[in-house]
Amino acid sequence: MKHLPLQGRTLALLAVIVPLLVLFIYVGLRSGPLAPVAVTVVTVESRALTPALFGIGTVEARYTYKIGPTFAGRVKRLEVHVGDQVKAGQVLGEMDPVDLDDKLRSHEAAFRRAQAALREADARQTYAQTQAGRYKKLFAAGSTSAETLYTKQQELTIAAAGFSAAQEDLARVRSDQDGLVTQQKNLRLIAPHAGVVASRDAELGTTVVAGQAVLEIIDPESLWVNVRFDQISASGLARELPAHIVLRSRGDQILNGRVLRVELKADAVTEEMLAKVVFDNIPQPLPPLGELAEVTVDLPALPAAPTISNAAIRRDGDSVGVWQIVDDELRLTPVTLGVSDLNGYVQVKKGIKEGDRIVLYSEKALTSSSRIDVVDHIPGVSR
Amino acid sequence: MSEKGIRIEGLSKRYGKGDTAVDALKHVDMQVAPGEVVGLIGPSGSGKSTLLKCLGAVINPSAGRMTLGNEVIFDNGWKVRDLRALRRDKIGYVFQAPYLIPFLDVTDNVALLPMLRGISNSEARAKALELLTALDVQHRARAMPSKLSGGEQQRVAIARGLVNQPPVILADEPTAALDSPRAMAVIKILNEMARKFETAIIVVTHDEKIIPTFKRIYHIRDGVTHEETGEGRGFE
Amino acid sequence: MISLAGRDILQAWGKFVFTGVGLGLLIGVTLSMAGIYRGMIDDAKVLLDNSSADLWVVQKDTLGPYAEPSSIYQDTWRGIRGMTGVARTANVTYLTMQVRQGERDVRAMIAGIAAGEPGTPGWPPYLVAGRQITRSHYEAVADIASGFKLGDRLQIRRNHYTVVGLTRRMVSSGGDPMIFIPLKDAQEAQFLKDNDAILQSRRRTEANPAFNKPGSPDLLDAVIHSQTTNTYVNAVLVQIEEGYSHDDVAESIRRWKQLTVYTRAQMEEILVGKLIATSAKQIGMFLVILSMVSAAIVAFIIYTLTLGKIREIAVLKLIGTRNRTIAGMILQQAIALGVIGFVVGKIVATLFMAPIFPKYVLLEPLDSIFGFIAVVLICVLSSVIAIYAALKVDPAEAIG
Repeated sequence: MKHLPLQGRTLALLAVIVPLLVLFIYVGLRSGPLAPVAVTVVTVESRALTPALFGIGTVEARYTYKIGPTFAGRVKRLEVHVGDQVKAGQVLGEMDPVDLDDKLRSHEAAFRRAQAALREADARQTYAQTQAGRYKKLFAAGSTSAETLYTKQQELTIAAAGFSAAQEDLARVRSDQDGLVTQQKNLRLIAPHAGVVASRDAELGTTVVAGQAVLEIIDPESLWVNVRFDQISASGLARELPAHIVLRSRGDQILNGRVLRVELKADAVTEEMLAKVVFDNIPQPLPPLGELAEVTVDLPALPAAPTISNAAIRRDGDSVGVWQIVDDELRLTPVTLGVSDLNGYVQVKKGIKEGDRIVLYSEKALTSSSRIDVVDHIPGVSR
Repeated sequence: MSEKGIRIEGLSKRYGKGDTAVDALKHVDMQVAPGEVVGLIGPSGSGKSTLLKCLGAVINPSAGRMTLGNEVIFDNGWKVRDLRALRRDKIGYVFQAPYLIPFLDVTDNVALLPMLRGISNSEARAKALELLTALDVQHRARAMPSKLSGGEQQRVAIARGLVNQPPVILADEPTAALDSPRAMAVIKILNEMARKFETAIIVVTHDEKIIPTFKRIYHIRDGVTHEETGEGRGFE
Repeated sequence: MISLAGRDILQAWGKFVFTGVGLGLLIGVTLSMAGIYRGMIDDAKVLLDNSSADLWVVQKDTLGPYAEPSSIYQDTWRGIRGMTGVARTANVTYLTMQVRQGERDVRAMIAGIAAGEPGTPGWPPYLVAGRQITRSHYEAVADIASGFKLGDRLQIRRNHYTVVGLTRRMVSSGGDPMIFIPLKDAQEAQFLKDNDAILQSRRRTEANPAFNKPGSPDLLDAVIHSQTTNTYVNAVLVQIEEGYSHDDVAESIRRWKQLTVYTRAQMEEILVGKLIATSAKQIGMFLVILSMVSAAIVAFIIYTLTLGKIREIAVLKLIGTRNRTIAGMILQQAIALGVIGFVVGKIVATLFMAPIFPKYVLLEPLDSIFGFIAVVLICVLSSVIAIYAALKVDPAEAIG
């Protein structure tokens, strides 16, 4: 007779042990390195891409006029402040001539002196001429020696030369004086072009050297954005392409513009191409010079072609590829990629076609022998 | 002597050596015929526990001779190699406390002994059930020992002692914890089983209720025994 | 013969299972410790794997870019790109710093990745959400361990970045989550401090008469500009063409370019051998201590269980049970306890400890197998004490 003692107890014990074992086996197979890798799969679709280029730049003025004196001096007065609109020819300020008046007086004195020297030379020349004529007559009459005649002729030549020298000297002094007068006229700082005063670099009483800027004027109509694009992703950058500009301080406004020109000189150190992008309508109030802007240049739209998200791209030796699901098996298919847009979609030229199923996201790096588990989204990613 | 029965001659047990030596048993002579139930009475410290332990092959006597049936098991030294097998096969034990294994049910407690001899589980259980029926506790066959009353437990213990049909059973105060009717029932069963299986039973007791039932009594005091004739009264 | 161990367990199964569960928690902690150790080594390996590089070119005589700071000129790659056997190169920067998002900030390793397309060395090799970076500035791909979600705006130094993609298991060797941003932004972050520091440095330059000559008005601007540009990167990652030996290419770069170059094996040795060696030792010690404690506790439990059965063991011996049967009973109980403990421990380690622990816990199946064998061995050895005690019991005790 076979009897099972303690049936109640045995059942209770089994009720505890069996779930424990089940949980154990589940834990062993579904977690850790033995578990299959969760992946999400998408079907390749045809899409028309609108590629775009992205770069950041700074707002600059095309024309900046730096107004300053042509000689060392002190700033005497400034009529304008930063932000003032100025017209062409408007007097913006004046320099203090410091020693210019004294220099002018000195030149004046030098001029008069040169004039006096000219008179003196003229008198000499006249005298020498008279003498030379007289001794010629005397020589012809035989009352004097040839040597004396030559001496007098020599003196005439010298006096004539001295006269020319005095004339030139007068001219020189006059030119010098004229130059100083012109400079005196330059004491005044004049706006060469209409615009807005961007900065006052020196205040009243400051001594400035020649060439140092006292005022900077920019033409607000000529604001542009100097944009830098990474060379490796700037193919297709050309003039007249439409652009969207977002200024850093006005992040919610998208301003329209276009590419004015692509600079001939790129930045070799940072490996960036430079371009100038102008606004279609200058934004009011004016963005400050130097403000950062994000610029997106639209490239011409492309016809529909199979595209994939760049998240699916993997490197496979020398080429790139995607993990394709063929007959429930995983295979790394090499692909040739074309143009991409800023949303991460890339055209596929060769390798896979519309309708193929490829792996988009995976929990771990895949190998061709990985077991996969297709899910809607990868566990652990919060929505 | 026939095949069963037990005989002791000149059994001595000394603990310790030299000046501090204690003689627990001094030349004890005893014999019990098959089917006979004898009493062993003595005060505590008299050496009756020691005698029981010698008879039960759990300690080594110092000197003497023990014969079980036809076999001399001790003659100034054990003549049997495997004492454990001797205990398993030839000696049955019944204690004051039943000492049932608490995690085995009643049937398995009794069936354990034949199983230890290699008998199959089903056969062992069948034998156990036989004895339990004979002792009128078969209705508790599947219960756990803790659920039984004292008397029922004692009967199961007796069944365990008898299941291997050993030639000798040592019973140590089997009725001490029982009331008068149950005590009489136990001693009655012992006598019946002794007759049925031709087992020699030695009952160590000081229970006044059952002493009159013995036909022969051994008194022990200070390690020395002497035989006495008992009343041999019936079991009421 | 019936199973004495089985019957004994069955009779007090609640207590036994409960004890097993308690032991299981201890074993679970021990398994988790081993998992943490493996996780640390895996962090280092994963960092190297995810950069997709075969060689790391760093500043001469440094252990960079992970173990030590390393700075090399950003055009160094040009000289390397043309060497035999080099397939691809890419600049990369690494900087561990706090990244702010809203109210909280997170410690992360910012990796600056060179402009290009997915598959460039340094770019995250796979994503779990979103897309890779397409714009040259202000976009980021973050690891989910950072807690950031798609669309979050992060602040790194002075710029804000939009999270466009998420990765998993892209961490630094210390376990910090990685955030990938365009290289130029990362160079700026590494070099340019905050606005206050920039203003201070400008003021100092202006106050220096050597740079602030009235006769050369553009000199000051040029000096300030040169102070605020960064032309350094931390390393150049190199991928080698098929068929070329990594060691050979590394050696030629070392010789001709006077730079320090590490192969994958050498980088692993640096990270595992130097960077995480101390932590690994600490965890190793904990593992040993926990194992010893587990052994002691199992021994104690089994011994106590056996002591509670001394009377029954005496009776069993008296009625003729073999010593080896009794020893077997104790041994089976010890092993049963160990098995329950291991099952519970493995479940606790996988379902509770691994997900909540701040570092990555890698529970490898081989470790579990070794763990199981160790648990069984410990149980067997621990039961020796109890078996010894049981065998010493004198059957005479039963007779009293």
